[in-house]
Amino acid sequence: MPVIRFETSGSEVEFPDGEDVNVLRVAIRNDCGVPWKCASGLCGTDRITIVEGAENFAPPRRRERERLGELLDEGVRLACQSYVSGDATVIWDPDQKTIDEDSRAGKRLKAQWLADEDGD
Amino acid sequence: MAELLNQDEFRSALEGAMAGRQAKDASFSQAWATGKLERKHFARWAENHYHYVGPFADYLAYIYANTPDTATDAKDFLLQNMWEEEIGDVRHTDLLVRFAEACGTTEEAIVDPTNITAATRGLQSWCYAIAMREHFAVATAALVVGLESQVPSIYRKQYPPLIDPSVYNFTEDEAEFFDLHITSDEIHGERGYQIVLKYADTPELQQRCIEVTRDGADMRFAYTKALYDTYVAPDLGVWDGELVPA
Repeated sequence: MPVIRFETSGSEVEFPDGEDVNVLRVAIRNDCGVPWKCASGLCGTDRITIVEGAENFAPPRRRERERLGELLDEGVRLACQSYVSGDATVIWDPDQKTIDEDSRAGKRLKAQWLADEDGD
Repeated sequence: MAELLNQDEFRSALEGAMAGRQAKDASFSQAWATGKLERKHFARWAENHYHYVGPFADYLAYIYANTPDTATDAKDFLLQNMWEEEIGDVRHTDLLVRFAEACGTTEEAIVDPTNITAATRGLQSWCYAIAMREHFAVATAALVVGLESQVPSIYRKQYPPLIDPSVYNFTEDEAEFFDLHITSDEIHGERGYQIVLKYADTPELQQRCIEVTRDGADMRFAYTKALYDTYVAPDLGVWDGELVPA
């Protein structure tokens, strides 16, 4: 049977031959520790990096393409949008936030808001 | 008298309650997946589907109100689900209207509750009744496990022909409603299972969850079959090999 290895948490989950499974659903069901917030490819909290088995991932869906852009070329995917049909190994940053919170624009906005609060 | 099932047994019983009665196997779904429908049939589907899924956040809100504040994880799941339906990004019913307009109908026709079948009216009413009256774990079993968790299996068969230029030839933008729900309802369905497995903690609650999961699957099957019988059968005749749930 194919196996998804969630390397960051040390979890491994088998699934039946001939099926393709949603990576975040498998992670949630088996308590594999992938961080997530929404289920719609919006927040980007569930970013994973493919270490092995990229060929077993279905092509990126529309929301992944829109949300990740060039990150897709670096092997980054959204677990909630990803289906795999064979062996795969993925890692992630256990502390990662939504894409916007992690982005330079997000940090700039946060700094601005904090500065505004100091000024009140 | 029923005994308390362990989590594996309970999950298997919930999954088994839907077996042989899933909407993906109803005539309208099969005709859709095999390229037999026309845009006018999709328009009628959209006019009906709006009145089933349009109030979904309302159903969830009733469950939310019936959920004790000690079940924080369940409340958070329901609130997140409502947020995604309504204001997380594009409102999901707006995506449905976008698809419907591409099929040749209008927003006025879609929101008009007189344009639906009796089965659609029954499904909507059942959703409201379950959400308002049942224990929150039971209502979650009915609406999230019995109904919402079926969505990926339905739309994963229906979306590819929708955007195939040689079949239905919709654009990705027009058919975004379906692509979105393939993935989001995988996650909602899984979290729904977890909430039910955790909070249906007596034999009676477990059995009631299994019953309403079966009822939910039956309701969605009947709703889907009625769409074929009402709008498609006059063009294509009786569907060959119609499944009859036991």
